[in-house]
Amino acid sequence: MKKILSLLTLLVLVTLFLTACSSDKGATTPTSANVNNNEDMVEIDFFHRWPNEPRKSFYDQKIAEFEEANPNVKINVDSVLNDSYKEKIRVLVSNDGLPDIFSSWSHSFAENLVSSDRVLSLNEIIKEDTDWSSNIMETQFEGFTFDDTTYGVPFTVDGKAFFYNKSIFEENNIQVPKTYDDMIETLDSLQKAGYETPLVEGLTNTWAISHYLGTIFQRIVDPEILVQDYNTSTSKFTDEGYIKGLEIFQELTSYMGEVSTAIDHEAARNMFAAGEVPILYMQFAEVKLVQDIGDVDIGFFNFPSIDGGKGDQTALTGAPEGWMLSKSAPPEAVEFLKFITSPETAMEFTKADGQLNAIKGGITKENANSTSLEAYDILLDSSSTAVWFDNAVDINVADIFMRGGQSLATKQITPAEIVKEVQQAVQKLQ
Amino acid sequence: MILKRIKLVPVLFLLPSLLFLGVFVYIPIVQNFFNSFFDFSVFSQTKEFIGSRYFKELLEDKILLTSFANNIKYAVISVIFQVFFALILATILEDKLFRRIAPTLRVIYFIPVMISISVIALLFSFIYNPQMGLLNSFLELIGLESLAKPWLGNATTAIYAVIAMSQWQSVGFITMLFIVAIQKIPKDLYEAADIDGAGRIRKFFNITVPQVRETMFVNVLITVTGSMLVFNEPYILTNGGPGISSMTLSVHMYQLGFIKDNMGYASAVATLIFVVTAIFALIQIKVSGTGKDE
Repeated sequence: MKKILSLLTLLVLVTLFLTACSSDKGATTPTSANVNNNEDMVEIDFFHRWPNEPRKSFYDQKIAEFEEANPNVKINVDSVLNDSYKEKIRVLVSNDGLPDIFSSWSHSFAENLVSSDRVLSLNEIIKEDTDWSSNIMETQFEGFTFDDTTYGVPFTVDGKAFFYNKSIFEENNIQVPKTYDDMIETLDSLQKAGYETPLVEGLTNTWAISHYLGTIFQRIVDPEILVQDYNTSTSKFTDEGYIKGLEIFQELTSYMGEVSTAIDHEAARNMFAAGEVPILYMQFAEVKLVQDIGDVDIGFFNFPSIDGGKGDQTALTGAPEGWMLSKSAPPEAVEFLKFITSPETAMEFTKADGQLNAIKGGITKENANSTSLEAYDILLDSSSTAVWFDNAVDINVADIFMRGGQSLATKQITPAEIVKEVQQAVQKLQ
Repeated sequence: MILKRIKLVPVLFLLPSLLFLGVFVYIPIVQNFFNSFFDFSVFSQTKEFIGSRYFKELLEDKILLTSFANNIKYAVISVIFQVFFALILATILEDKLFRRIAPTLRVIYFIPVMISISVIALLFSFIYNPQMGLLNSFLELIGLESLAKPWLGNATTAIYAVIAMSQWQSVGFITMLFIVAIQKIPKDLYEAADIDGAGRIRKFFNITVPQVRETMFVNVLITVTGSMLVFNEPYILTNGGPGISSMTLSVHMYQLGFIKDNMGYASAVATLIFVVTAIFALIQIKVSGTGKDE
C-alpha cells in the first residue's frame, strides 16, 4: 500500500512537472490568449516605457477612458524604464510574446524590431483613416518607414540642445556661444567666475555620450561619408573627422570634472536645476522635469558650429518616438492606437507631461509654457534633423564609441585607438 | 515481478530530480555549446553555421581579457576576505570571551546575506556617490579628503569598489559555515591543548585550521566559482564602466547577447565561463580530496 502511494505521488510530481513545462508554451501563443470567445471580451497587451510619473498616470487614465468607451475591451498594461525597455522589447520581439501595442524609438531601433517580421505594416490603416492620420506631421513618419512601408505612428518629437541658466549668464555678462571656439571661451570664463564645472553630464548613461558624439560627428564629417558609414554594409569609419570629433568630446569632458563619470544624467539634471551648473546638454522633453525641481530661468542654444566642419552647422539632433502594433494584434488595438495618438490625447498629453507632440498644431499657449514654446520653435526652425547616434549606427559600433567616450573622460584611451577599434568591429560586421 | 518492482522504485525516486536537472541544467549546457557554432540574433530565428570562428575570436577579444582579469581579482580578494578573514572572525566569535555577545554578532554579520543584492547595490551606490556619499564624507571627517574620489567613476577604483561591496555582503555567510564547523570540533582537543599550555594562536593553527579543512575547501570552491560567475554587482553598480574597466565575464556575455545582439558569440563566452568554472572546481576537488577523509 505504501509503495503504491509513493509511486502515485511520484507519478503526480512527474506529470505536474511535465505539464508545467508544456503549458508555458500554450500561454504565450498570442491570438488565442487575447480573444476570449465566451464573453466576447478582447484583451489588449499594452507595453510602454514610462513607469515614472507623470506619464504612468496619464496612460492609466487613457486606458480607463478607452475601456469605458469600449466595454468589451480589457487592456493589460506593463511598463519598464528606458534602458530596461530596450532590453525587454528585444527579448519579447524574438518570440511570440510581443505585446499588441508598444512604444518604439525611430530609425535603427525601429528597423531592428521590424526585421523580426512580427511588427504590423500600418500602410493601409494610415490610408484608410485619413481623418486621423492627416493630423500627424508627415515628416515624422520617416523614421518608422522602411522600404515604403510604415510600421510606426510618431507621437512625440524631441530635440537636443544646450540648456543654460540665463541668470548666471547675465550676472557674469557672458554671451551665448555661436561657434565651438566661443563655447570654449564661455566655459573658461564661467570657470573664472567660480563655476568649477561649468558643464556637466551623467557619463554613466552611455546614451548621453552618444548624443554628444552624434551631434559632433554630424557637424564635422561630410554628410555623404556619414550616410555611408552609418550604413553597416558600407561603413568604414576611416574619415579623419571621427578622431577630431572625439578630441572635441574629450576637451568638453575636461570641463565636466571628475564627478561626471560617476553620476547619471538625472543627477546631472538635478545639479542644473539646483543652479549649481550653468550648462547642460539636454532634450526638450526634460524642460518640465527641470522646472518641477527648481525655478531656473532656462535658455537654449543649439550645439555651436565647428570651424572647418563639413556638415550642416545648424542641424538639430533629435528624433520622434511612437507606437507600433504586433502582427497578432486584434482590430481593437488599432482603435486604441488611434485613440492614444488623437489630437485630443496629444493636447492633454503635452499639458500633463510637457513633452512636445507630433500632431500638427499640437503645441499652443494653452498646453505649453513659454519655455516649451521656445523649444518648439527651435525644433521647427532647425535646418535639418540628425537622429540619435545610438539609433543611427549598429549597436556594436555605438557601444565602442560610447564606452570609448567614458574611457576618454577617465583618460584611459586615445581618440585614435577608439577609431581603430571601430574600424576593426565594422570589418567583422560585414 | 517482485524483483522488477524493487529495481523500478529507486529509479522512480530519482526521476523527478533527474528531470529537473536535465531540463534546467544539462540540456541548456549542451544547447549553449551547440549555439556557439552559429551566428544568430535575438530578432531572427534563422541560424547560420560558422564553425569555430567565435572561439577564435575569443582569443583576440580585448574586453574578454579585461573581464577575465577582473574575475581573477574578484576571486583572489574574495578568497582572502571571505575564506581567511571569515575563519578568523568565526574563531573569535566562538571564543570564550565572546560567548555572551556572540549570538548577537552572528545575527549582525548574517543580516547582509539576507538582503537582496539589488537593494545592496543601490545602497552602495549612495555610499560611493561622489557628491553626497557616506564614504567620501567619512574620509573628509577624519581629515583624509585627499583620498576621496568618485569611486565608481574612476577606471582604477571601480572594480575594487564593486569587489568591496561583495565582501561586505558575503563574509557573514562564510563565517556562519565556519562557525558550524568549529562547533563540531571535539572539545577535548582544546582541553588537551590547554593542559599542554598552548595559547590561542597555537590552538587556532594546530587544532581549528586542520579540523575545519573540509569546510575551508568547500568555501574556497563556493567563492571561486561564485567570483567567476559574478554578474549582479558590477551590472547594477557600474554596468561594466567606466569604459570597460569593471567588466566581468558574465556582464560581457549579457551585453553581447542582449544589447549587441550577437547571441552566437555570447554563447561562446558562456561556454568559456562554464569551462573555466568547471576547471577550477575540478582542481579544487582533486587537491582537497573531499570525501576521502571519512
